[in-house]
This record gives sequence, C-alpha cells and structure tokens, in this order.
Amino acid sequence: MSSGGAPPSPTMVPLRPLPDEAYRRMAAVLRIGLFASLAILVSGVIAYLITHGSEPYGNAVSSNPILNYLSLSGLLSGLAGGHVEAYLTLGLLVLVATPILRVASGFYYFGRGGERWMAGITFAVLVLLLLGVLVLGPLIR
Amino acid sequence: MDLALFVLLVLIAGVAGGLIGSLTGLGGAVVVIPVLVIAFNVPFSIAVGTGFVTILATSSTTGAAYVLDHLSDLRIGMFLEIATVPGALLGATTTVFLVHANLSNALLIALGAVLLAIVPGTYARRHIEIPTGVVPDRRSQALTLSGEYHDAALDREVRYQAGQTSPALGVMFGAGWTSGMFGIGAGAFKVLALERFLGLPMKVATATSNFMIGVTAAAGAGIMLAAGYVNPVIAAPAALGTACGAYVGSRILPGLQNRTVRYVFIPVVAGLAIEVILRGLGLP
Repeated sequence: MSSGGAPPSPTMVPLRPLPDEAYRRMAAVLRIGLFASLAILVSGVIAYLITHGSEPYGNAVSSNPILNYLSLSGLLSGLAGGHVEAYLTLGLLVLVATPILRVASGFYYFGRGGERWMAGITFAVLVLLLLGVLVLGPLIR
Repeated sequence: MDLALFVLLVLIAGVAGGLIGSLTGLGGAVVVIPVLVIAFNVPFSIAVGTGFVTILATSSTTGAAYVLDHLSDLRIGMFLEIATVPGALLGATTTVFLVHANLSNALLIALGAVLLAIVPGTYARRHIEIPTGVVPDRRSQALTLSGEYHDAALDREVRYQAGQTSPALGVMFGAGWTSGMFGIGAGAFKVLALERFLGLPMKVATATSNFMIGVTAAAGAGIMLAAGYVNPVIAAPAALGTACGAYVGSRILPGLQNRTVRYVFIPVVAGLAIEVILRGLGLP
C-alpha cells in the first residue's frame, strides 16, 4: 500500500484490486472484438462498393437493408447467400457485442473473487443490455 | 451522387470525426451526426444509430490501452454502469418515440443545444492536482470503491477513493439518457460525475469515463440496431473512418499543443451545432 496522494480522510476505503488477469482479459476482449469487426466491415465495404458502387446513393439511404438480417435465421441465410449487407450487419453486431462481452467478463471476475454485490450489479447491467437488444429494440421497431 | 462517392464521403467524415473527436475529447459522433444530417439528409434516427456505432469504434480503439495502464477503474466504472445503461436505454427509446411522433426537428434543435452546452466545458482549465479530503459514503465503503495508479508526472503511486455515490449515480443516469437520445458519448457529463461527486483524480476520471462510454453506447446501439435504425451502408464506413481518425489522433496528440488544437477545432463543432439547430428550425 502506498502513501502517495492519499487524502487525509477520516475513513480510508481498503484497496481490493481486481487481478491483473482481469485487466489483461478485458483489454484483449476490446482489441479482438474491434479488430474482428473492423476486418469484417472493411471487406464488406469493399465488396459492397464492387457490387453496388455505381447505384444512386438515395436508395441505400432511404431503404434500410438491416431489417432483413435482424433475426438469426435471416442473418444466417443472408451470410450463406453471400449478401454483402448481411456481412456488414455481422460486423456491426460484433462491434456492439464487444462491450457486452467485457461486462460479462467483469461479472465472471467479481463472481470468482466472491464479491457478491459487485457481481450482482454487473449481472444486472448485463441483463439490461441484453433486454435492450433482444426485447426493447424489437418491441419499438 | 453514386454510392461509391457517398461511402467515400461518409468514410472521410468519419476520419474527420475520429480525428477531431480524439484531439478535442468530444468524441467522433459530435461531428459525424451533424454532417450526416446536414450534408446527406440522413434521417435523424439513422444518424443517431450511426453515432452509437462511431462511439463503439472509438472507445474500443482507445479503451484497451487505458485498461492495460490500470488508469481505468474497472470497479467504479462497472458500478456506475448500473445508472448509465438504463439511462441510455430510456434515452434511445425516447428518441424512437419522438421520431415516430414526427418530432425529429425538435430533436435536432435539442441536439444542437446539447452540443453547444458541451463545447464550453472543453475550454475550461482542467485541474490536475490530486483531490484531497474525499469522504467515502457507506456504499463506497461497502463496495470498496477505491484504487491506486502510478502517476508518471508526479512519479509516485496515487491512491484515491470514491466519495458521494448517490449524486454521481444521478448524473450518470442523466449522462446515459443524453447519450441514448442523441447518439453521442456524453463523456463530459461522466467526467463531471467522476471528478466532482466521487472526487477521483482527473486522469482516472477521464480513463474511466472512456471505459464506460463503450457500454453506454452498446446499450443505445443495441436498441437502435434491433429497432432497425442502424443502416449498415452508412454505419460501416462511418465506423471504419472514426476508428482510423481516432487512432491517428491518439498518435499525434502528444506532439500537439492541446490548447491550440481545441481553439482550432471547437469552433468547427460549434458551427455544426448551429447548423443542426437551423436545420431543426427549418431555416436554410
């Protein structure tokens, strides 16, 4: 425990740091998720420009192709059929899923450390994020 | 205009957003959203959905480094996400309902006002001294909301602890709501809560805010994506551009005078905000 910078407070909260492994794993989740999504998006954008580049842009702005790929079956059939918009959607889903996975890893490390309250809070955040994607979003579509 | 040119221009707007956003600390979405609305007539809801995606790209680009440096306080950040995430879910839902009610113009005016409100904060002189006399409340003690980091400038370990968690949670809920409604990071509000109410050192507050922004944006992006308000043809090049711009910005930032950068670029953001308000008012 260091002496630097500590405020002369009547109550000192003890340090209870997460293990270094938690920091490394969470940074790795962010990096891998980012690189995976960017790789999918780069190849998707290039493929999209090759196949649709000469079309007028107004059509792409006014009609939203993502609506075809928001169900698992729609996304899988779009990917299997080689639809570029399905690959772009997959890249965006990976980008959105990355911070959610980071929260899940936080839940794991707090749970493993026996911190019931912090694990409970992190789990509640995880449930809220999933409810937003899986329930609230489709409900207000 | 054909799609190839459109995608290229969105990519360039993303690079500019990522660059300006990382140099000013405002985030890339404050540039990308107004440009999409003003220059390309993209509907407000789709622009907001794109804004979330750009935040995700920038926060993941810079966030990993802060986490590895132990500057982001994972414990405090994850504790406060219990307020920002419901705020963002509510904010994004509010925006969808207002768009359905044909109130997009009112949202544009509100967005412009929020951007203008954020700009002066970036001019304010940031205090760099370490906060002293922070008294932790019962929640802070129970959840051991404290930490320690190595301050390179001071060349010593700095210990800190969270002060008043209730007002911080309140401000974080508001920050989440603002972020959710307008697709911006609202990092200025998060840093305010972390510094003023929790009494965290400036470096920890900034890094922890960045750490939290990704999850707040994931809440908003998840809703907008699932509700069909993210257009991949627009969001994909915007995300790629902002990731590149944020990366370049983070590399060149140490060599630039921070104050000069802000004086150059912040009028750009203020100008975009005024343009957005004019668009909302139906003026040319």
